[in-house]
This record gives sequence, C-alpha cells and structure tokens, in this order.
Amino acid sequence: MSTAAKKVVDARGLSCPGPITNLTKAYRDAKNGDVLEIWATDPGFKSDIKAWIERTKNELVDLREEKDKIVAIVKITAKK
Amino acid sequence: MLSRLSIILYSGTDDKLIPVGVIAQGAAALGMDVQIFVTGWALTKFTKKQSNPVWPKEFENMVPMLMEGMKKNNAPSWVEMVKEAKSMGAKVYACSLMASVMGLKKEDFNELIDDVVGVATFLQQAEGGQTLFI
Repeated sequence: MSTAAKKVVDARGLSCPGPITNLTKAYRDAKNGDVLEIWATDPGFKSDIKAWIERTKNELVDLREEKDKIVAIVKITAKK
Repeated sequence: MLSRLSIILYSGTDDKLIPVGVIAQGAAALGMDVQIFVTGWALTKFTKKQSNPVWPKEFENMVPMLMEGMKKNNAPSWVEMVKEAKSMGAKVYACSLMASVMGLKKEDFNELIDDVVGVATFLQQAEGGQTLFI
C-alpha cells in the first residue's frame, strides 16, 4: 500500500480559470487520502474552489485568506 | 457527476472568443463534458492561415486597455485556453455546412479542430446538457 501524499499546487499569479485548471491536473495524479494545498491570488478562486468541491465531491478541509494569497486544503476522497 | 456543456461558437471577433476560452477551460476543469461547435464567422479563426485579431468597431478604442489588462493579469490567449480545455477532454468541431460554404476542407483547419461534423451530430451530443450560443 502506498502512503498518502501532500502536494502544494502553486497557482499564484494565474487568472481565472488557471487555479482550478492546475488543481484538476494535480487531481488526475492524486489518490484517495492525498491532500492538495492550493495557493491562488485570483479573487474568484474562493468561490470557484467551492464549486469544484461540490462538483467533484472531494473534501474541503480548509479555505482561508492569507495576507498575500488564498489557501485551500483539499482532501481527495472521491477518486474511483 | 458528469454533465455536458455545448458551445455554439458563431462570432469571429476576439472579444467573444476570450469568454469562450474561459468558459470552456473552466467547465473542463470542473470535469464537465465540453464540446464547441464552430460555425459562422468563427470558422475563420480556426484555419491554418494566420488571421489577425478582429474587434468590434464600437469598442476598438478600448482594445489597448483590454490587452494591457489581460497581460497584467497573466491571462492566456483564447487559443491557449481552448488548448487547455482540450487537454482536459474538450472537443472542438467545425460545422460542415459553413465549412463548405467558405470552401474550407478538413485539412484547411488547424490542430484545434477535432473533426468536421453536421448539425445533427452536434445536437445529438448536446442533448440533456447546457448549450450556449456565442
């Protein structure tokens, strides 16, 4: 059995829909139990990450706005 | 949850091609099944022959500001966005009638076009999903 991985997806500086695109690409290589931490500066990302979670049925562990970026922590639970 | 987004792309001006790129890429990133049916003036933007950007006359004086803003926000070109959408599974089809009307054959189109299809194929694939006419 392989162990869960944690990966940072740095999408800072990318405009919409760059951050969710990079998340989707990272998601392809992820497996259940993995945690993806996405960094973004696009102001639309805060609502877009919620839409992505709703659609893909993964788990949003944390979503916070830091001084210089928005950080979303996603736990992968919906991989088939 | 698999859902479908179909875009009928008719306009050939770059101000309308940009949102097509954004919506297609965004929908593909959400895991939607995306297809773009290219017809009308938009076909001229998908040929191997390089074409210059076309802007609507009434907004032409705002184009430099728009381009500057796109650059400052690191926004990719609409072609790059359509490519991204395709890398996530989106399909792009050219309308067979308008292609014939414009004298365009399959080999005249660039690599963005997956196939030349008729309207029935498009409608069949669009059934049950959302469809946008742009």
